[in-house]
This record gives sequence, structure tokens and C-alpha cells, in this order.
Amino acid sequence: MTPLILSILDRLQGLFRSLGADYPQMRAIVQVKLMMDNRRNYTTLGRYGQQKKNNDAPDNTFLKVLGFYAFFGVILALQLMFLERENLFLPLIFQFSYVMILCAMTLISDFSSIILDSSDNQIILPRPVSSRTLWLARITHISVYLFAISLATGLGSILILGYRFSPVAGLSFLVLSVLSAMLMVFLTNLLYLGLMQLISEEKLREIINYVQILMAIAFYGGYQLIPRLMTQASLGETMERQWWHYLVPPMWMAGAVESVLLWTFDTEHLLFIALAILMPIGGIWFMSRFMTGSFTEKLSGLDQESKPTPATAAVVQPTTLPDQLAGWFTSSSLERASFAFAWRIMGRDRKFKLKTYPQLGFGLVYIVFMSLRGGTFDNSGFATLFSLYFAGLYGMVAQYQLSASDSFKASWLYGAAPIRQPGEILSGSLKAIIVKLVTPFYLLVAAFLIWRNGTDQVSDIVLGYISTLVMLLVSALFSDRRMPFSVPVDSVNRSNTGRSFITLIVLSLIGGLHYGLTLVPYGVWGGIVLSLITVWLLMRQYQRTSWHQIVMA
Amino acid sequence: MTIAPIIELRNLVKSYGEAPVLNGINLSVDAGQVVGYIGPNGAGKSTTLKILIGMLPDFAGEATVLGMDVRTAALDIKRRIGYVPENAALYDSLTPMEYLQFVGQLYELDPGHIERKTLDLLRLFQLSDNAHARMTTFSKGMRQKVLLISGMLHNPDVIFLDEPLSGLDANAVVLVKEIIRQLANTGKTIFYSSHIMDVVEKISDRIIIINKGQIIADGTFAELQHQRPESLEQLFAQMTGSDSQTDVAGEFINTLTN
Repeated sequence: MTPLILSILDRLQGLFRSLGADYPQMRAIVQVKLMMDNRRNYTTLGRYGQQKKNNDAPDNTFLKVLGFYAFFGVILALQLMFLERENLFLPLIFQFSYVMILCAMTLISDFSSIILDSSDNQIILPRPVSSRTLWLARITHISVYLFAISLATGLGSILILGYRFSPVAGLSFLVLSVLSAMLMVFLTNLLYLGLMQLISEEKLREIINYVQILMAIAFYGGYQLIPRLMTQASLGETMERQWWHYLVPPMWMAGAVESVLLWTFDTEHLLFIALAILMPIGGIWFMSRFMTGSFTEKLSGLDQESKPTPATAAVVQPTTLPDQLAGWFTSSSLERASFAFAWRIMGRDRKFKLKTYPQLGFGLVYIVFMSLRGGTFDNSGFATLFSLYFAGLYGMVAQYQLSASDSFKASWLYGAAPIRQPGEILSGSLKAIIVKLVTPFYLLVAAFLIWRNGTDQVSDIVLGYISTLVMLLVSALFSDRRMPFSVPVDSVNRSNTGRSFITLIVLSLIGGLHYGLTLVPYGVWGGIVLSLITVWLLMRQYQRTSWHQIVMA
Repeated sequence: MTIAPIIELRNLVKSYGEAPVLNGINLSVDAGQVVGYIGPNGAGKSTTLKILIGMLPDFAGEATVLGMDVRTAALDIKRRIGYVPENAALYDSLTPMEYLQFVGQLYELDPGHIERKTLDLLRLFQLSDNAHARMTTFSKGMRQKVLLISGMLHNPDVIFLDEPLSGLDANAVVLVKEIIRQLANTGKTIFYSSHIMDVVEKISDRIIIINKGQIIADGTFAELQHQRPESLEQLFAQMTGSDSQTDVAGEFINTLTN
């Protein structure tokens, strides 16, 4: 892929030159960045890097993601097939919203670390590279991915419009998709710059972290929501124009395409076209003219600002919350230490949060949608149980992630310290997950279900919770036992199929048993007692893990 | 005819937010000097270096390198200086050849020229066998060698080194020290920051000690020694106000055994 991209860039070098870049330098930077993306399981590419098995198939995961986006794009585009030419404005808005949301999501969740990459500080800033060149190189690097995404998502619409109406219509959609991506680049950069003016680097990364988590959840929720909206919204009606339509970017794009479709160029449509074309291009031009200087200046300050802060550290309290909780839930001092340790890192390690919290959010979203769909099953029955256990699966993700960390090298500590029974470290950290993540998550689920269905299902919820703990332990016992935070993030996701299979079997088994128990009077309460005992036994088993059962990285 | 100084700092002041880092640094360095720039952690060494190579334009006072203002001519300065940062920052998923090719391109050198030169330099550092291996597997010393090459590839007139010997084995240390010496003999200026006192003592023509953002000593080792006839290490400890290390060590042992 890289040579193709570079040759496209070569064609466009006049453009880059006119934007103020030193083209050979810019090309060198983009080339190196793309090369590194291909090599490394680039963690910054988040989703794209995750399931990669080896380095031999570098572009595959990204291509798969593109295929996935394209598939959804086509489904979304189907309405363009059947609706009247005059009524396409609303579906077009959906199309462009989809493109823009995907681009913005990708920018914030996967590329923020590229935009804010301070490792370039040491490597590129000391070289004679102007800040504009560096900035343009970064933007280009990101845009390569974004354009691919926007084209993939728009593919269905492009083909349908081109086939049904005219090639010009398809072409206009294509151009506008790319412009949408550009606009998103501009807006996200503006957002980052604005935030960087206001808050410190550390805070910024923190905020971005939470934005990423929220975005991921919103994204998942959106998938569930949009098809529903589509069926409800009266697609067949023409929309009345409102003044605020001119403030909403997808409307510009939709308006511009509609203008081509209907071949009308009245003031209204010309305004849309003007906005659609001028805003993205103007935005990029504006940024490369006026804002790159302060951007790199800020960037080069990033490393420093975080340095002299120890003075602000709060006075250490004799017993903190994690220590106290550790005292309640653990039995040995080693386990206690591990509990408090895992608790703290889970609360601070951004990557851990990024991998775990969205999954918990998905679980909640899932429950809510299952419940809203309702009607098909009666509330007290199978559906609730199913959603309960399915949510439990999401709650277990944290356990998958527990062994991974960016600072996995610090795990030499486990080897150096005189630890007789490493199982206590494992059980301590697992307990921390249960108390810190799984339980609050389940409380939310429970609160929602009780609010929705009343209190008659409390016993089911309690049993569901304990069963989740059983599954958690089973999954922990059957997977490679690794010390907490001891392996690089990339390697966690491998070789898990066996384990997930076992988990699924156990899940359906326990779920089925639970359903059976609901038919027996007081069966559920009996189940609760039984599974509590199981939890206790399994936990003891886990605690007794010895060194030869541990897989060290 | 007087030769203009290669590096000149006048009343350099820099602070991050409220915290002052540099408090009026004045100094002037001539061509062909090896300057050892030392000071305790947080004294402002790295900050001075970053200002000199034009990475931090936001400071008060004046700073010129090769007669050019750091604030206005940063790009022109960068073309003629080399910088070797301290913490082995490089793109380690690349091979040394690819990385150095990339760096060379940033200096707008001819690719064929870079390749020849790089291969030779890698050979001299005994990295020929690893020239096409990804640097993820490299030891700290090997990375440091690549880093050193990347800082000098374009044959700069002034070289800024931040802890350049870290991770190198004893032979490489001797080699790099000799390289520094010979570079200075050909008229290049070396500005060198380190914590390893005996190295600084041996290779520097001139030693500058800073503490809390101010220069507290400046001269050849002989001159500094003249004031207090001790090793540089002791001198350093005394001047930076931490000469009671023996007591601290005793206390440390005490605390351990308690």
C-alpha cells in the first residue's frame, strides 16, 4: 500500500508545497510513519492492531475494518436505492453523518496519540524541519487512513448514486466524503488545540481517554440505535429547511449532493455547496497558515510540563480506600498488597481503562436495548436472564486485560521478590477487579433491571451476579495464568479462542441451570447458596496457583 | 581579527509556568572547544541544550549559535548542528539503515550518499551485521551508537551531546571519547552534558557547572582545581551544596538496618 500512497502524494506535491511544506522532508516522514505502522502492532491504531496475529499480514486488519465499514455503509445506502429522487435529503444526511462520525471517532480514539505524539520531539524537532512540514506530515499520515475509511463507508452510496442517477452524482458523493474527512481533521485539530491552550498535557490525555471511552460506547449504542431511528423516522417526507441546517456539517454535504441529483442550483443549494467545499479546504488552509506554529511549540513543551509536579502530591493518608477494601476482602498480606496494587493501576493506566471501560459500557447499552426491545419475551423470563448473562460476559473483559500493561517490563519484580505462592497475587488482583469493576457494573445492571421490571427478580439478579463470578474464576483458571501487568498489551489478545470457547460453554451451562432453577420453587435461592460455595472453592483453587502454573512473559 | 563565538548566551531566563529553570545564564563558547556542561538533576542542563538547538523558542534573554539568533533562525541553525538526546529516543521498529536514511533525508542529503556513509559509520561502530535488523532487539549501547551516528551524519559544526556514553561498553566509550577529541581538533565545537564526572574531567577543555539555573563555576579543570585541589567529583559535590554525602550514606544504612 505504501508505495501507492507515496506516488499519490508525489502527484499532489504542488499542493503541499503551496501549503508551505518542504515536500521531500514531508514525504520522508510520512513514509517512515507508514512503514512503522505496517511493522509494529501499532498500539495507537487501537482496534486495527488488536487482532493481528503476526507481522506478516500488516494491512489485513485495517482492510477488514474497512470491509466492515463498507458493509454497514452499503446497508445504510440501500434507502438511496428505492426512495424518490426528491426525498433523498434525509438519507443523505444519515450517510454523511455516518462518514463523519466514523472519521471523528477514529481520529479521537485511534489517532490522538499520533497527533499528540511527543516522541517526535526528540527525533524530528532537533532536525531542520519546519513546524509546518511536520504538521502537514502528521495530517497527511492520518488522512491516508481517514480517506480510506471515508471511501469505504461511502462506497455503497457512491455506487448506488452513480448507477441509479448519474456518474456525476456518484462522483460528487465521493468528493464530498473526502471533504467530510478533511473537515473532521480540521475540527479535531481545532478541538485539541483549544484544549491544549486551556489545560495541561496530563489533563488533556486524561480527558481524551474518557472521550475515547465515551465515543466507543456511543458508537456501539449508535449501531443499535440508528436502524431503529431509520425505521421510525418518516423517511419519505421532504424536510423543511431551518436556519440551523446551515450549521450542521452533514447537511451541507447532503445538500450539495441533492443539488447535483435534482440539478437545481438555487441560493439554498449553492449555499450548501459553498459550505461543503469551502469549510474543509479553508479549515485546513487556515490551520496550516496560522496554527501550526503554536501547535509544535505546545508539543515541544509537552515533555517538560509534566516534569516538576511532585510538590503537588497530596499528603499520604495512613489508610487509603484501596488499602481498607483490601483489608476486608483479602486474607494474606501478599494478597492484600496485590489487591491494592491492582486497584491503583486499574484506576490509572489509561490503556487498561480504554480497553476495559468501553466493554462495560457495551454491556450496559446491550442490557438497555434488550430491555427496550422487550415485548418478544415476557419480562420475567428467559430474555432477562439471557441479557443478564450476556452482560456478565462483558464484565469479564477486565480479567482478560489484567495481565497486560505498557510497563510490563517492571514484572521482573515478581521474579526477584521472594514470593512462595504467586496464586495469592493472582487472587488479590482478581478480587480487585471484582470489587472495583464487576460489582459496580452489576449494580448498575441490577438498578436498571429493578427500575424496569420491579423487584420480583432480585433473586435472579443476585444469582446472575454470583454466577458471573463463577464464570470469571473458571475463565481465570482455564486461561494462561499470568502475573498482573506482566505482558505487553499486544500479546494478550492471542491464543484466547480456547478459553473463550470454554467460557461460552460454562456460560450457557450455568445460564441454563439458572433458567431451570427459576421453574423450581426456591430453586434460585438454593442456587445462590450453591454458587457461593463454588465461588469460594474456585477462589481457593486459584489462590493456590504455584509457580510452575504461571506463564511468565 | 576576532572570531565570533560559536555559542553565546546572554542573560538566559526560562521558566515552566511558575517554576524558574534557568536564572540568567551567560556564556560564550569558541570554535574547537569541548565544553563539559554539568550540574545536578533538575539544574537546567537539558533545558539549556533544548534552547540552544532551537526546540524551545519561548525564553527570555539572548541566545545565538553560529552567530544566528536561536529564535529567528532555528532552521538554519539546526542544519549545521547535531544533537544526540539522552534517552535513546529513536523509532526502533526501523532498521539502523532505514532510520539513518530517514534522518539523512530530513537534512536533505542525497540518499546514495547517506547509504555509503551510513554503512561505513555502522561498520566503524561494529554494527555491520545489524545494519538491516530492526532495532527493537538492540541493546541500549547499540541504540546509543545509532543515535550518535544520527546526530553527526550531516557533519555538523557544533555537536550537542546529552549523556552520550550511556550504555556503551568500555571499548566504545574509548572510541567515542577519541572521536570527540578529534572532532574538536578539526575545529568542531562540542557541547557536552553528563553526570559521569571522570569522563567530563578527562575530555573537556572547559567545564561549566550549573546549579539551580545559574552558572556556579566556569573554567578548565586545572583552573577549577586551582581553587580547590580535589577531584571534579568532590568539587562538584561541594559546589552544588551536597558535600555531606558521607553523612547521608550513614543515615541511609541506619534506616535500612532499623
